[in-house]
Amino acid sequence: MVTADFSQPRRQSSKGILVIFGFKTFKFFKSFFVLFVAFGISIFQKKSFANFGIFNIVLIVIGLLLVILIISVLNYLNFKFYVKNEDFHLSTGILNKDNTIIPKSKIQNVYIKQNFLQQIINVVSVNIETAGDDKSEIEISALDKIQAKQLKELLFSKNKVSEGTQTETEDIEDDVFFRASLKRLFLEGISQNHLKSFLIIVSFIFGLYYEAKDYIKQLHIEEQFENSTIFNDEALFGLLVTNVVIALLFLFVSVLFSVVKTVVVNFNLEVVEHQKTVEINKGLFNKMSLSLTPSRIQNLEVKTNRIKRYFGLYRLSVKQAMVNKKQQKNFAIVALEKSQLDYLINRLLGAYDATTERQKPEFYYKRILWLKLSVLAVLLNIPAYFFLGTYFWAINIPLVLLMFTFVHYKYKKAYYLISEEHITIGSGFIDSVTNILEIHKIQSVRFQQTFFQKQQDIASIIVSTASKDVTIPYIKSAHAKTICNLLLYRVESQDRDWM
Amino acid sequence: MFTNLQIDLEAIPNLEDVVLKPISKRYLNVILVNKILLFGALYTALFLGKWFADDVLFLDYFWYLFLVLSIFVIGNIVVSVLAFYKRKYAIREKDVIYSKGLLVHKLTTVPISRIQHIEESRSWLARQFQLASIKIFTAGESGSDLSIHGLPEDEAAYINDFLSSKVNGDS
Repeated sequence: MVTADFSQPRRQSSKGILVIFGFKTFKFFKSFFVLFVAFGISIFQKKSFANFGIFNIVLIVIGLLLVILIISVLNYLNFKFYVKNEDFHLSTGILNKDNTIIPKSKIQNVYIKQNFLQQIINVVSVNIETAGDDKSEIEISALDKIQAKQLKELLFSKNKVSEGTQTETEDIEDDVFFRASLKRLFLEGISQNHLKSFLIIVSFIFGLYYEAKDYIKQLHIEEQFENSTIFNDEALFGLLVTNVVIALLFLFVSVLFSVVKTVVVNFNLEVVEHQKTVEINKGLFNKMSLSLTPSRIQNLEVKTNRIKRYFGLYRLSVKQAMVNKKQQKNFAIVALEKSQLDYLINRLLGAYDATTERQKPEFYYKRILWLKLSVLAVLLNIPAYFFLGTYFWAINIPLVLLMFTFVHYKYKKAYYLISEEHITIGSGFIDSVTNILEIHKIQSVRFQQTFFQKQQDIASIIVSTASKDVTIPYIKSAHAKTICNLLLYRVESQDRDWM
Repeated sequence: MFTNLQIDLEAIPNLEDVVLKPISKRYLNVILVNKILLFGALYTALFLGKWFADDVLFLDYFWYLFLVLSIFVIGNIVVSVLAFYKRKYAIREKDVIYSKGLLVHKLTTVPISRIQHIEESRSWLARQFQLASIKIFTAGESGSDLSIHGLPEDEAAYINDFLSSKVNGDS
């Protein structure tokens, strides 16, 4: 293995031009998407656009691509980086020259990612994340895989020295702890909450429709639709069948979407254990490699549901401090088995103990849920009146049943548990969600009580860590005060760092 | 050495024992002036609407609108004034406590060891009443940050110095 030399200013791999070009073209076409739809339709109808023939339009497109290519080449030529004296240097910019210097000690995370294009030409991108605002993220978009790994190690090398004695041991104990099989990923996709996928699809269709509304109007679809549906008694039955078919189609598409999405995002999911960190590798089109540092983990979230529990599938999301929001959602490991989940939790949190008795919120929680849902139900009756006329009350039958199950399960799944080191909070309706945080990582504690809760002697506690707020809902206020006191005492009496 | 003593829940410091200090009464003026400016703008917009609008429907319902707005304004001001007396703060050896809110009462505590930085700010209006605000930033989401408005200038400066020295001394 040839060790790459990062001490001299150097450019990315020359394939970088292609990657930059790809990115820029994609971005360009994406931002003018609606315009292109307009072009397309108008060409389709009149064989020309604003007096340009098809030949001219092709010329214009080629011209635009050429301009993007030139910019990409210039971008590539002006992108230089090197590592020198514990600092990472980067110079960029065609007209405005930017020089960025990052001390190694300030580097928080280094991610290696590979999108579809990068997979084809066999390069990876390296993202360097620093503490502080989101903008300080730096991406080197084309490097050989081996070089990228060397760069990552080089950037982290100082940290290791300063932190302790183990400097070289990290590479030896690379142990693939968990690998998700395709079958398990498939099951994970199938057993997901499809309502979410459904909503994504619906909002996508609506968004598309809204964006291209004017152009669709030109196609006179609505008139055609109206002409083809003539209302009479037979047609009413037909309409019903059509609606059922549409509903089934939507369900099918939602399930398909969930499965494909799960498999694509988590393809070849691997959890690798290092000495200090845990690494996640995953993705089909967008391959990525992320590392989790236990000291920086603030919250853990375990999600499962009834079907998933049957298959033994658990999803673990990790919330780290100082990680930008977009990256945050990638820190999830799906399709874990229970034993693996327990092992990982212990590994990441250090001796997680959940043997203390679970405690439930007060019944007030149920009452609040009923109250909130009732308001919603009353509001739903208004549009129902306009659609169904005098039979509008009928919608209340399924509605009440739904409300009943909702309140029942919501309350059943709600619990909290405070042990020596950790707070665990359970919640969820369809999914069972378990939130775990370490008490010594708490940033602030809030005791909260509304005017009405005060009459009932009920209060909630909101506990913030550096990445998330969690709520212990609706408990007796005296008990809430004791918990606040205890948590504050634990945080303040032990002089442990939160990161 | 590792010890793991049982904690006597009665013996640990109790939030309820802390005597919270109300903020300066002068801050009520700041709140009221702000409200007057805001609601003045709303009323002006309403009357301008009456002056220029041709819409008959709007003119018919104008006085209802006016009434609704007035009820809202009076209610809002009453609640604000009552809520003012809930704004209290305290600084303990190891944490900062701030309570506020009439309808939703919140008592937030930030351990001093978790403070990232402190900001002392004076708005133009607050300066007219010799008041200042202290904003305490933690590493958490905005929900865990804490700001105490309506402190007398000298007290704000003192708190700022005290907390800054503690925060810097610890790290």
